[in-house]
Amino acid sequence: MRAAAGAPVLPALRVQLRVVGALTLRELGTRFGRDNLGYIWLFLEPALLGGAIGLVHHLSGHALPGGVDVGTFWVIGYVPYYLLRGVLNRGPSAIAANQSLLYHRHVTLLDILLARNLLEGAATAGALLGFALFFGLVAGEWPREPAKIVLGMLLMLGFAHGAAMLLATGSVYSEIFDRVTHLFTYLSLPITGAFFMVFWLPTELQRAALWVPTVHVFELVRDGQYGTLVPTSYDVPYLLGWVAALNLLGMAGLRRARRDLAL
Amino acid sequence: MIALRGVHKSYHTRLGHREVLGGVDCVFRPGEQVGILGRNGAGKSTLLRVVAGVERPTRGRVERGMTVSWPLGFAGAMHYSISGADNARFIARIYGKPLGPTLEFVEDFAELGEYFGMPVRTYSSGMMMRLGFALSLAVDFDCYLVDEVVAVGDTRFGERCRKALAERRERSALLLVSHQAETVRAFCTSAAILHGGRLTRYDDLDQAIAQYEAG
Repeated sequence: MRAAAGAPVLPALRVQLRVVGALTLRELGTRFGRDNLGYIWLFLEPALLGGAIGLVHHLSGHALPGGVDVGTFWVIGYVPYYLLRGVLNRGPSAIAANQSLLYHRHVTLLDILLARNLLEGAATAGALLGFALFFGLVAGEWPREPAKIVLGMLLMLGFAHGAAMLLATGSVYSEIFDRVTHLFTYLSLPITGAFFMVFWLPTELQRAALWVPTVHVFELVRDGQYGTLVPTSYDVPYLLGWVAALNLLGMAGLRRARRDLAL
Repeated sequence: MIALRGVHKSYHTRLGHREVLGGVDCVFRPGEQVGILGRNGAGKSTLLRVVAGVERPTRGRVERGMTVSWPLGFAGAMHYSISGADNARFIARIYGKPLGPTLEFVEDFAELGEYFGMPVRTYSSGMMMRLGFALSLAVDFDCYLVDEVVAVGDTRFGERCRKALAERRERSALLLVSHQAETVRAFCTSAAILHGGRLTRYDDLDQAIAQYEAG
């Protein structure tokens, strides 16, 4: 796509890195501007929303099954969900918003989506890091295995990125994707697994819930936060299968869409 | 060298399948200034986009042995919600050019004054053309693809474009599409006519123009 067939891989990769880097900086500029708090909003937005949800549930005083810490539960459920929703919702508009940049031959659709989604990933990672420090310092609630949280966030990003590529592909052929994606992410919130734990459910429902790929992400992240304090169930290879399949289909879709796209 | 081999391009429109380019075979060499003449709707802009590689041919292929600019015209290549300066930084980054000198060159050539720091969407169409042209000169391509709107938009700026391109005549090629014979005569040394989805080249500029005006 980028270079003639048989072009060396390394220079092509360097071009791609350069382009994704430039697109990310531009995305930062267009989304947050250059004034006032500017780029701080990148982290502040998910942090404020996540913090508000954690605080509300903390103050409401409802205990959670299994004695899970209320504040951390809602925050570490909300922040990965914010990543999922942000990436999916922005998928259908990604191409239209950047179409004029396709006048530069080596800007690809994949680069455009990568730049947007990496930025979204960085924003939520920053917010989550802030929360980890906050809960650790204030309440002594340090994550038991931070590496699992990192892995969970990476898998969520990979999953959402793959799905967003398919949504972006769809948006080239039909407006319907732009119209229904927000509705879909909103309605699907209860089944994503952001705000329930698998062990709370009856056995039958547990089996059903574990078909949903994102349920595994949230359980993995909770395992990283709480360790053996609460039982978690997830299957990383199952999740990896989803991520790989969505990404391969998504990249194939974008390739096809680029051919059919009239600028 | 740029070679088009049996290039077809068609679009799906509400009125059905519409073929715009129906088998274009052509070679453009370094240093050539070729004017492509065609009536409105003949497919001139489509041809430029296919040569630039921003749209793929439906059939056939385009070989590019030199660096080719994006099609310079009204639309495209820029981001409208950021400033001209930010666009220059973006272009410098994606084409691997040094930031400082690129900014300086674009600011100087585009003559946007204080608008250089304002979002591109606040620009007039003339300012957008100047910015687009300056950006492409800053990248320094081997071949420039120009839509006539840039060349004729603003007389004084058109003159500077012509000079900038003339300075590069030795190494740069130019493909200019136009529906006006005078524009082609001012910028080009040879010409081709795009008609009925096919491109016919003429070595002699006057012959091409005579043919075009007779048709």
